[in-house]
Amino acid sequence: MPILIFSVAPLLQGIYLGFTDYELGNSVTTFVWFDNFRFLLTDYLFWQSFRIGAIWTVLVTVGEVVLGFILASLLNARLPGQTLARVLVLAPWAIPPVIKGLMWRLIYHPEAGLLNTTLQQLGVLSQPVNWLNSFVWALPAVILVGIWSSLPTTTIVLLAGLQSIPQELREAAAIDGAASRAQFRNVTLPLMKPVLISISALQFMWNFNSFGLVFVLTEGGPSGSTRLPMLFAYEEAFQFGNLAYASALGTAMTLVVGIVLVLYLRSQYSSDGGA
Amino acid sequence: MRATFRTVLAGLIISSASAFAQEPTQLRFVSLAWQEQAIASVKVIVAAWNEANPDIQVEYQQVDWGSINDYLITSFETQAVPDVFHYESTQIKDFGARGYLTDLAPLISGDLANDVVEGAWATVEGENGELWGVPFLWESRIVLYNRDLLEEEGIEPPTVDDPWTWEEYRDASLQLTKDTDGDGKIDQWGSAVGLSSPVNFVLNLSIGFGGQYFYEEDGRWVVRVGDAEKAFLHLMTDMLYENPSIAQDGVGLSGPELFPGFFEGRYAMLPGIGVWARQQIVESGPQDFNWGVLPPLKAETQNQGSSTQTLSIPAASPNQEAAAQFVEFFLNSQNMATLAQGDWLFPTRTTSFERPEFQTQEAGWNVATESAKYLTMANWQRVPNFEEFSSRVAQPIFQELFANRITVDEAAERLEREGTRVLGR
Amino acid sequence: MVGERKVVPRLFMTVLLYAFVFFLAFPFLWLIFTSLKSSSEIMMRGGSLLPQQVTFENYLTAVREERIVGSALNTLKVSVASALLTLLIATPAAYVLARRPKGINQPVIGWILVSQAFPLILIIIPLFLILNRLSLGNTHLGLVLVYVVWSLPFVIWMLRGYVQNIPVEIELAAAIDGANHLRIITQILIPLILPGLVATGLYAFINAWNEFFFALVLLKSPELQTIQINLARFRGIEGLARWGPLAAGSVIATIPTLILFGFIQRGLVSGLLSGGVKQ
Repeated sequence: MPILIFSVAPLLQGIYLGFTDYELGNSVTTFVWFDNFRFLLTDYLFWQSFRIGAIWTVLVTVGEVVLGFILASLLNARLPGQTLARVLVLAPWAIPPVIKGLMWRLIYHPEAGLLNTTLQQLGVLSQPVNWLNSFVWALPAVILVGIWSSLPTTTIVLLAGLQSIPQELREAAAIDGAASRAQFRNVTLPLMKPVLISISALQFMWNFNSFGLVFVLTEGGPSGSTRLPMLFAYEEAFQFGNLAYASALGTAMTLVVGIVLVLYLRSQYSSDGGA
Repeated sequence: MRATFRTVLAGLIISSASAFAQEPTQLRFVSLAWQEQAIASVKVIVAAWNEANPDIQVEYQQVDWGSINDYLITSFETQAVPDVFHYESTQIKDFGARGYLTDLAPLISGDLANDVVEGAWATVEGENGELWGVPFLWESRIVLYNRDLLEEEGIEPPTVDDPWTWEEYRDASLQLTKDTDGDGKIDQWGSAVGLSSPVNFVLNLSIGFGGQYFYEEDGRWVVRVGDAEKAFLHLMTDMLYENPSIAQDGVGLSGPELFPGFFEGRYAMLPGIGVWARQQIVESGPQDFNWGVLPPLKAETQNQGSSTQTLSIPAASPNQEAAAQFVEFFLNSQNMATLAQGDWLFPTRTTSFERPEFQTQEAGWNVATESAKYLTMANWQRVPNFEEFSSRVAQPIFQELFANRITVDEAAERLEREGTRVLGR
Repeated sequence: MVGERKVVPRLFMTVLLYAFVFFLAFPFLWLIFTSLKSSSEIMMRGGSLLPQQVTFENYLTAVREERIVGSALNTLKVSVASALLTLLIATPAAYVLARRPKGINQPVIGWILVSQAFPLILIIIPLFLILNRLSLGNTHLGLVLVYVVWSLPFVIWMLRGYVQNIPVEIELAAAIDGANHLRIITQILIPLILPGLVATGLYAFINAWNEFFFALVLLKSPELQTIQINLARFRGIEGLARWGPLAAGSVIATIPTLILFGFIQRGLVSGLLSGGVKQ
């Protein structure tokens, strides 16, 4: 119970702030109802950032769920070297966050980075690409790092899900002569559905909420093209001191994410036919 | 709620102060020094203080530049503050205005006040003349060059008495830009500039062209981008795209991230790089790398805008007097020189600055020191909401400009329109 | 078992698996190599991936200057405590949620959702005010509480799924045999969901192990610092860092976690068995 207070009280206060005019250092705050939200509606920079956030969240989530599913299947297929592979694929999870972004910045370095050097040696590129500062490539480049960084969590959860599928079911399907594709569609996928839904929903929230890695990589640039909405809110709060406005942004974003998720979960579970 | 909390806290402090009157005062000092030598200097000074002052013990805590802002704001808002902290002038003015800091004017000695140059004090002065910190390190921007490449090209580096103008610099840069192996691709560039965070770079170097960007009109700040402001922007876009002699590699990098190419001879000169970056060459560069520092380039003047690194005392610190004593000691003439040397920056005290270590030829100190004479406080350091202007308006616009997506005139127009809007928010 | 016709796809699958391993683990490999290079070699462009001259200087620097070992022990203490405390609270909570009628589930799921979606940075200040008021400011206990609060929603959600997978009949049978609630939980339930506890405990552990900001702001005394804080001190300005010691320290911080993964790999995998996140 006291833990619940730790969790709920700050949340409530955070939401409450969004309805005040609190700025860092203020000793008196007034309740201003929906002023912050009205300002929010016309804040075109925020909506631009929100759009980028939507692309980022969807692509990272879809990417890691699809790749995670493939990887989990491979890890579950009794291939040679499986035990070591199962540990090594978790490496991004274990590497200290402090160094992740710096490391990828070096890999993406336009003229000394490993990526450009390798691609040029392979003949894929004739000119080095300035990945993180390109108006075309910056967002894909950070999305790739985003997927890299959170793929392990997804993979592990999905792997566990796969292992829970009773072997007898698959064997039964195999005896029935079901082709492996049909087996996948009729046996594996339906059984995996709850896990897939849960992890994609969670990752969706986490990805929407993350910005630290991207901040180190690009600081939101070039020209705001990788400025995620949480980075936007963070800047409002900790750099410009507009804590109330940032809280309003947070509340609005939570609301939007919440609605998307509720719709998603509902559609998934109802199409399940109450299974 | 906050108010009651403060009262409770104050009560606690008073009671604990009286209860443990015999105990030594404990000060917590947050430092940002991160280079090996600088950390060592700080530790030595703190140890010396603790040795000499058994009744005021200082605990040293190192925080990194990337997290200091979040760290301090959370500390201020929760009243769990360090007693002395290290930061930089632009930020502490904002903190001061929010009521987080103690005015140091009544707390510091005349000796310190008179010895630190006036220009440095200006960087920490609040609206009503408060001093929100003691400035102790000046940062300037210098030009680094590869001695061998210039010699090869027969270019004589300028002297302090007869510095290059930006035009002369541009010509030299163009001459140094070439295709050395004849494969049709340029592989040696005259210059490279780290433009990933171009705002301070542009604003500070525009000062030499007479470009202020911010003007006070009828008691309000507005952004004006006239010919003086455009001069430097034209120069940069010209050197990047029209008559290329600045490698485009640097557009998304910070200055120091260009070092691998500089060491390799891909870039002959690095203009506008922080004076402290020399440390990287000395400590991580190839041993036989032959380099030097150019005297500050001249536009209308050789002036450049600069901020300072500072020590401040939070308003919520219960030990302000003791903290001020520690600051005095930490920044005495000898110590300040040691700190500046460890961080490869300039001390703000005249007596420290005049010491021989800042005049030697080694590591280009003598020429770099020259740039310190032209440091001034830029207007942008006085503008409220500058942070927001910088990251929401100027940064994106300059990035588009340096990526050659918009023209100087378009950039100017947008800076004025969007900038003035943000300042008026 | 493996038929002739399956050899080729299996070869393809193996290659694909190794491609994944390469993508995910390569940066770590790079980190190890970097940690063994001298600082001038790190700065060299086009330098080979492998160090030309292996040096352990960086490890010495990391250990000596930032007391990486001491802070690693602090982090271990905090992480283990957080994981255990999270489980201690989450298990009964998950049990109640799993066994109670649906009414209580909705608000809890709502809380989980909001707590995961609301920006963390805006919760920090109010949270710290509470901690300071309880004089938990500069303590490991305060940090543990923060981490517990942070990991709890996800862990409860997952554990609830595990409990639901256990047929109620088993408990009823035990109750008829005269076992009380405590006995049912400790002697029947916990062994059955042990794998799930391991898995979620690991999640809480990693969360705490890798966390930076709370530890930075909450802990003031040098002797309490966690490893992430000490590592960050090798970061400089403008994308610079003292790469050698930073890489060495990061390897030191990564290895224990990887070893832990190796040890409980079996427990972890079967632990998430039956999809702990099932509805």
